[in-house]
Amino acid sequence: MIRQIQYAVKRAFGLDLAGRHYTVYPDDTFLVSYPKSGNTWVRFLLANLIYPNQTVGFSNINRLLPAPGVLSKRFLKKLPRPRILKSHEPFDVRFRRVIYLVRDPRDIAVSEYHFDLKKRYISPSMTQEQFIKPFLAGETSSYGSWWEHVASWVGPCYSQPRFLLVRYEDLLSDPVGETAKIAEFLSIKADEERLKSAVARSSADRMRKLEQQQSKQWTGTKNTRQEIPFVREAKAGGWKESLPRHCVEEIEVAWFPLMNFLGYELQNAELDNKAMPVWVRAGQSR
Amino acid sequence: MGSKAKAGIVKHLVAGLKRGLGLHTPGKSLVILPDDIFLVSFPKSGNTWTRFLLANLRFPDKPATWATIDWMIPDPTGTTKRDFDRMPRPRIIKSHECFDPRYPRVIYIVRDPRDVVVSQYHYHRKIRKIEDDSPLEKFVTRFLLGDTCPHGSWGQNVATWLYTCEGSSRFLRLRYEDLIADTPRELAKVVSFLQLPAKPEQIVQAVERSSADRMRKLEKEQQHGLYKGSRADMSFVRAAGSGGWRKDLPTDQVARLEAAWGPLMHHLGYELATLPPSEIGEYAPLGTAITAPR
Repeated sequence: MIRQIQYAVKRAFGLDLAGRHYTVYPDDTFLVSYPKSGNTWVRFLLANLIYPNQTVGFSNINRLLPAPGVLSKRFLKKLPRPRILKSHEPFDVRFRRVIYLVRDPRDIAVSEYHFDLKKRYISPSMTQEQFIKPFLAGETSSYGSWWEHVASWVGPCYSQPRFLLVRYEDLLSDPVGETAKIAEFLSIKADEERLKSAVARSSADRMRKLEQQQSKQWTGTKNTRQEIPFVREAKAGGWKESLPRHCVEEIEVAWFPLMNFLGYELQNAELDNKAMPVWVRAGQSR
Repeated sequence: MGSKAKAGIVKHLVAGLKRGLGLHTPGKSLVILPDDIFLVSFPKSGNTWTRFLLANLRFPDKPATWATIDWMIPDPTGTTKRDFDRMPRPRIIKSHECFDPRYPRVIYIVRDPRDVVVSQYHYHRKIRKIEDDSPLEKFVTRFLLGDTCPHGSWGQNVATWLYTCEGSSRFLRLRYEDLIADTPRELAKVVSFLQLPAKPEQIVQAVERSSADRMRKLEKEQQHGLYKGSRADMSFVRAAGSGGWRKDLPTDQVARLEAAWGPLMHHLGYELATLPPSEIGEYAPLGTAITAPR
């Protein structure tokens, strides 16, 4: 009861954390992805693009490119509009403009395993192999499985004008070009120089340095195992060295139609030959 | 502090105290239990009828009525948290939400969108959301955009569930049209999906107790609180049939729905009236054996 009253008072002053319950405006843009798909990197890219005169770091990223879950409702209400917000939510009908970032699930399996060790979400004795089964079942994340997450967004929204699909892998191979696409989607006028500067200031090396200085000042890394880095390899295809062959096989058998659709080349060539699906236009442009 | 701000704070304090006593409706904050079952559909797709069917199946000793349905098959936006906490488990919970990965088991009811739009149009006239003489084509425009309710468009709602869950052992998809055509057969699917200890005669009893005639009669007697302030001259239980769109929906409006959602409708077995088969795009049933069972 005391806790409820505390909550009531906090809520009355708008100081309660927004969690999943905050007001969404029709002109909001959401940067959405399954966890461990490069969301933090893109937050840095966008923050550096939008605020070229500020030093973007882990200590201020929650304010510069806000994550509603860890901020108060009052803070979110006071942000200038249109807002750009980060989210890991599966399909949410209130999100009218979405940049959806997708990454090869074989790399996510490796990245999420290390992240969950860092966060102490899993036992330190759990092996990468043991991680695959709960990962496929969506038990390692409160946002569902990778399949559920991607299908819930790409299924109804693909080819819609207010939905921009970005592959993490494309962002790695052509960061300036892909950032330009995102900037255009956001109607941010940015010349080549400004784009290049944002990319340079969001490089993995720079983010690693910032993490070393500020890891205790960010909700994502505070109270986690400091010997495991948050910014890890920051590359594509690491699964080829880190994942046992049979684990790769399990992921591909479970999720090949969507992996094919997204252009992720499969180790199992038989699955690779299956026809690429055509997505239904399940939504209408708004 | 202005009086408006004060009023706002009082409102929040009252909400907080209600919360303390569990008298609020939990909505999206509902704590989901691992054995919960969700009965999900886009609005106007036969959800209330199926609620009656399941309530009568789950509680054979107590025929469901409009007065008891919110307790038997609770609704997170209509049932209080206290009632949720006191309910026998496993709970069967009503929902109109798009895909939610937290739902442990889901029965998803889908209905021909051409019938859904007509049904929702009349329902919105009943609850005075739209003017009585508001043109149907204007409503179809909003329906296609998903602006007639907070649960997305028909296509979005259906697609978020089918793409993520079809083929999963924790997901049962039923068509409203099949439920109408052979209610006991479809209900038997539910019984097996939920592993309920229901005998065939209990299924028959549940069907009888949930007939459109009985629901209409109960509605007249109870003028249930769910739709307070709505027009008493229009009933909630309307045609309770399928294919009414052929009579009620002009061809040009049918064409708009089919142009938007043709592949999905075709995939669900709804024969298209304005698109030849060669022009229907391919719907990829991606969910086949995809999502590992929890």
